Amino acid sequence: MSVNPFDIKTIVLAKHAQHVVLIHFPIALFAAGVLFDFLALQTKRRGLAEAAYFNFFVAAISTLPVLATGILAWQFALEGQKLKGTLLEHLVLACISTLMIWLVWWVHSRGRKRLEPLPNYRLAIEFLAFAIVGLTAHLGGFLSGVNGPG
Amino acid sequence: MIRKTVLIVGLLATVMVLTLLLSAGSPGSSAKTPQPATAEVKVDNFSFGPATLTVPVGTTVTWTNRDDIPHTIVSTDKVFKSKVLDTDEKFSFTFAKAGTYPYFCSIHPKMTGSVVVQ
Repeated sequence: MSVNPFDIKTIVLAKHAQHVVLIHFPIALFAAGVLFDFLALQTKRRGLAEAAYFNFFVAAISTLPVLATGILAWQFALEGQKLKGTLLEHLVLACISTLMIWLVWWVHSRGRKRLEPLPNYRLAIEFLAFAIVGLTAHLGGFLSGVNGPG
Repeated sequence: MIRKTVLIVGLLATVMVLTLLLSAGSPGSSAKTPQPATAEVKVDNFSFGPATLTVPVGTTVTWTNRDDIPHTIVSTDKVFKSKVLDTDEKFSFTFAKAGTYPYFCSIHPKMTGSVVVQ
């Protein structure tokens, strides 16, 4: 396989896989956002709520390159062949995770625009989204071979 | 008496010749149609076993995914390429020409192997 650093396939595929690098950004940002939002609700500290909002915002933005590199890896490594099993589960859960992260950001964004308190049920959505993100990441780690030798 | 003996010997000889002809022409005869050679490669724990397989020309190599996650078998020189193999799924390719055929898993490119055809 080519190792040309300017070859898009080299960038996207597993020997220099951007997807498995970039995925850590939305996971970490979203998890931190949920934690900040939970603490903001408990302590009523405005700064934590602000931190949560911006974590969700950047997490939502960072899902876009992750989704793009994941789809490109599918096209290049597997030539877009029909997915099944763990690969299909990972793709479906990744799409749901992306939508959930954007939904959480939208709930926060709407509350800020309307200058009204955020609904308490948002935490349930955030925890559900976190669980789906975790499951997606688990399958992704499994597929990437992180559990394998070497 | 002599005539009867000649008849029996002739009959026996005919039966023997026919038996020989039939057994030589039967589809199961190993002398006429040798069985095609086969070889197996196991895909397990993110590796190919054996990593290097040496086979004669005409051998059909079958890869079986014994791992819990999907893998592919892709020739570096684009000679052969499998679909995504889930657990216990197989992929076979017959090597008609001598040479060395390196291959890898396109999902996990660190997984490499080769088939040496002699």
